[in-house]
Amino acid sequence: MNTEHFLEVRGLKKYFDAGRPRLFSREARFVHAVDDVSFSLRHSEVIALVGESGCGKSTLSLLLMGLEEPTEGSIFFEGRDITHLKESERKELRRKIQMVFQDPYESLNPTQTIEEIINEPLLVHGIAKDKRERDERVMKAMEDAGLKPAEVYLSRFPHELSGGQRQRVVIAAALVLEPEILLADEPVSMLDVSIRAEIINLLAELRITRQIAVIFITHDLGSVGFFADRVAVMYLGRIVEIGTMLEVLEKPKHPYTKALISVIPVPNPRLRHERIILQGETPNPIDVPKGCRFHPRCPVAIAICKDSDPPSVTLSKTHSAACLLLVK
Amino acid sequence: METTIKVIEPKNQWADRLLNFWRVFSKSRIGIVGLVMLMVIVLMAIFAPAIAPYDSSSSASVEIDDIYNPPNSVHWFGTDDAGQDVFSNFVFGARVSLTVGFFAAFISIIIGGVTGLVAGYFGGRWENVLMRITDIMLVIPDLPLMVVIVALTQPSLLNIIFVIGLLGWTTTARVVRSQTLAVKSRKFVLRARAVGAGNGHIISRHILPLVMPILVVQGVLVVSLAILNESALSFLGLGDPTALSWGQMLNYAFGRGAMSIGAWWALLFPGFGIVWVVLGLTLLGQGLEQVLNPRLDTHHLLPGRPAIQRGHVESRQAKGALLEVQNLSINYINEGKPAARAVEDVSFTLNKGELIGLVGESGCGKTTLMLSLLRLLPSAGQIVNGRVFFNGQDLTAISDEELNLVRWKEISIVFQGAMNALNPVRTVGDQIAEAIIKHMPAIDHDKLQVRVIELLDLVGIAADHKEQYPHQYSGGMRQRAMIAMALACDPQVIIADEPTTALDVMIQAQILELLDSLRRKLGLAIIFVTHDLGVVAEICDRVLVMYGGVTAEYADVDTIYNEARHPYTQELLKAFPDLTKPKKKLSSIPGYPPRLEALPAGCRFAPRCPAAFDRCHTEQPSLSEIGEMHFASCHLIEASK
Repeated sequence: MNTEHFLEVRGLKKYFDAGRPRLFSREARFVHAVDDVSFSLRHSEVIALVGESGCGKSTLSLLLMGLEEPTEGSIFFEGRDITHLKESERKELRRKIQMVFQDPYESLNPTQTIEEIINEPLLVHGIAKDKRERDERVMKAMEDAGLKPAEVYLSRFPHELSGGQRQRVVIAAALVLEPEILLADEPVSMLDVSIRAEIINLLAELRITRQIAVIFITHDLGSVGFFADRVAVMYLGRIVEIGTMLEVLEKPKHPYTKALISVIPVPNPRLRHERIILQGETPNPIDVPKGCRFHPRCPVAIAICKDSDPPSVTLSKTHSAACLLLVK
Repeated sequence: METTIKVIEPKNQWADRLLNFWRVFSKSRIGIVGLVMLMVIVLMAIFAPAIAPYDSSSSASVEIDDIYNPPNSVHWFGTDDAGQDVFSNFVFGARVSLTVGFFAAFISIIIGGVTGLVAGYFGGRWENVLMRITDIMLVIPDLPLMVVIVALTQPSLLNIIFVIGLLGWTTTARVVRSQTLAVKSRKFVLRARAVGAGNGHIISRHILPLVMPILVVQGVLVVSLAILNESALSFLGLGDPTALSWGQMLNYAFGRGAMSIGAWWALLFPGFGIVWVVLGLTLLGQGLEQVLNPRLDTHHLLPGRPAIQRGHVESRQAKGALLEVQNLSINYINEGKPAARAVEDVSFTLNKGELIGLVGESGCGKTTLMLSLLRLLPSAGQIVNGRVFFNGQDLTAISDEELNLVRWKEISIVFQGAMNALNPVRTVGDQIAEAIIKHMPAIDHDKLQVRVIELLDLVGIAADHKEQYPHQYSGGMRQRAMIAMALACDPQVIIADEPTTALDVMIQAQILELLDSLRRKLGLAIIFVTHDLGVVAEICDRVLVMYGGVTAEYADVDTIYNEARHPYTQELLKAFPDLTKPKKKLSSIPGYPPRLEALPAGCRFAPRCPAAFDRCHTEQPSLSEIGEMHFASCHLIEASK
């Protein structure tokens, strides 16, 4: 097996139809949700996709899960093109790529018990038909997700659990299929800070104990610090900087990454530092700015940024960023 | 600590759920009345032969005196035109009316349920075709159509059931469709798809359980509608002549001179039966809806009149402080259970232009404390001790009218998640103007518009966004608009309850910068409530760390972050990702905050505390001053003194 290309994404694009600007207008408009994204993932690697809301990171996760059809580009898994699959072929694949959603309050069916929720994936895939084997797998997934002792939780309903416990249930329901990739879409943003560390630690443990690769999607660069191997920063549907965690956090090259790092709250008033607070918000992805798509908010933009789209500049074997200021 | 493991047999689950349902339902007075009303008639219909004194079908010996006899000891409800006992007919008529009602409703529910489910779940062409058919059915008046169809076919009981059933499904289809749409868009359905579940599985496991409650309520109403329709058809003479229903009884009485003779009993009793059953079903439907329809859940914060019960304590406000909270304790009264001590003995002061951070995990009493400052607690919340001084006035003691002068004008609140509370059909400018008018009714139009623009400018929104609707605003802008509303009456204090939760880090930084600049510009005092210690470090002067309703530690910002003494504060700080030391493992606090109804006997943090010793589990530590302007409640600190 080629470990270099465990999961590979090439030139992925997703445009949503945004309707016509006027009733009889000819031109159709599109939301450029994901616009030419490429990256790869190794076995049991953790990659963090970071960006503000509207940068396309959630659409990207739905594309990877096969819950949306990409407009262009392709996704390879273990060397096989999985971009367009029939539902029956897709089902087999789903066992290997599982997802953890952002909102643990919404992603559990309130009428199901915890046991039913975690059992469901096994039922759907018809694995472990024997009751004892099934119970064992459910218990193991629960304990791996930190729901110990599992018996206490089995017959409870989601509303009886706290946010952190619910997120563990979601993780257990993903683990029960023994996936190879876990796609975590903002798994901690709805949780208290004190609980966040727990869930992040849990994900970090899983990649070691179960050899699971994790795609960690977040808007908070601060929370990826200690467990991501690589970080990809997204802006308006594109990856603007990608590199190892230390390269991105300690030697950021793209002005957007620098700004994102500067606004991470530092829990120490003695270290109050200069923050680069970008004005406004991510522009509407229907009207993507010409030239560099970041230039209207960029604090260091120069004249040419308005006209030419920056190419990806290789800074090291693992580090690259798309900024015209880096082009020599 | 010992944990008892209870393994509940999964087989009891359904019985449990049913029992649980009954427990809730039995509290609904309306529902119980409806159920009893319905059961009386149903039992009467089932045991008709035993109850009715005469067999309705035979009219063996009719004498002329028996015709239209008024109610008497032999014929309780009198007799009809054929000399038959009205009471017996009434009892047997219930059978026919209920049979038609239930079976016709069954057909309607099945057709409507399937139509709504398919249209809602699959959408697209299916939805278009099915819903247009539903719309067409809906605009055709039911009764005339039924009359035509029944008149054209044989008016037999079966025909009537089918006609009523086939025409009465439209509302059900619409109700089910909208509920299906709502459930379908929820995240757990997406999660099921991500797991690989097919449509059949998703419908049976995820959609149906959440559509069913609404279908049950709808079903009850459809039954009553079917009974009404049957009565109308029979009254018009289109009923099955061999099966005597209540409508039929009315028809006969009406057509055979009961009115002119004055035989009211022949009309009144069948009419009464129809009203009784329909009313019973409607009440039952309402009762079921209260229990089953999750949308009617009323857990909102209704400002009741919280009682204040406490001994008379002589105390005065310290000089210079704008807002001073002294030993505030709040209980939630719980029927039949001991009161939950949501907040206990919390004190802090806020000076002009100061920003104080109130930090704690969810459920630690932060929001309760903030609401109590303006006495906005739900009616179960009681201030049991303490005072809240604002400009020399004790807010816990003044009248509601006096307090209204303080609310919003002097102290305003930016609620948690308030950015989603904007009215979607009115422009943002309009809603800000409303906030101003409510407290300054005399303001003239021009000044009002100027003020709105001024407020928007203050929070960094360009004036041309004034006429836009909330959906045209981004999350950050909506939060700014909410802050503008809070500023509408030039308050002195703003309480910001988790104003940046659920916002992106960049937007969070923008909002923090905004609040910081506002207090510098306007001399505002701000209470910033959050669960995130990192956020407040940037802008606060002082920090109050709460745990389980009590003050854990209270000090100025530098002390909290660099010389924290309480183990809880220390643990919270450790749980924070530190960018200056990446690769460092995050430490987390094991366990969860205590539930208010089951507080530990000793220190509330003891079960999770890494440094707890014997005394911590038995005795609650008191808040003591451990340094200059540094308070903490911990036995460990006291012991080391």
